[in-house]
Amino acid sequence: MNKQKIMNCERNRLEKLTNFRLPQYFYKIGIAIGVITIIMMFVRAFAMEGDTEWLKHLLQKTLLIGMLLMSISRDKEEDELTIKLRMQSYAWAFITGVIYALVMPYVEFGVSNAVHNGGEVYKDLGDFQILIFMLMVQLMCYHTLKRYR
Amino acid sequence: MENTIKVERAILNLTQDDLAKKIGVSRQTINSIEANRYVPSTVLALKLSQLFNKPVNDFFKLSDDD
Repeated sequence: MNKQKIMNCERNRLEKLTNFRLPQYFYKIGIAIGVITIIMMFVRAFAMEGDTEWLKHLLQKTLLIGMLLMSISRDKEEDELTIKLRMQSYAWAFITGVIYALVMPYVEFGVSNAVHNGGEVYKDLGDFQILIFMLMVQLMCYHTLKRYR
Repeated sequence: MENTIKVERAILNLTQDDLAKKIGVSRQTINSIEANRYVPSTVLALKLSQLFNKPVNDFFKLSDDD
């Protein structure tokens, strides 16, 4: 295989990966997973006793999976306009995610110390907080852009 | 970019939904194109050209700000 063929093969594979979407019913599965996980989060917080830290981490990951399914599943009427809007929403999510990760720790630190003297120490955001924010922005942007298309 | 898709559609007596189904997009996409909110791809423009039986230049025109 010559160099040109290898490049074409890689380009096609990358294009296939970029255009990959799950079937439309995965959106509903994602919603169901998200709703069940949020209910479970409330149950864990208010009705369960003992060391449930492992469950908290498990639920966080499940929520991320649910929202990812919603994000990458095909639209009911998928065409070139919805593909463009989806790409725009990913761009929005990425940019706002970076800004959120940079600014939010200072906001939390500032508010905490303003509300009660000697509040929390400065700490960076966790991966869950950033990822959930980005997924939320992506889904909200996509549906808003779709509504105004 | 300006277009006269609405006129071409009226000549063929097609609704937005009919046209959308014929070229495989959603009705909202046709609406966005007609309202000049979205510039379609070359593939879509050629599909429209085939359907209207006219060259793309006849119903898509560059505007002054393009």
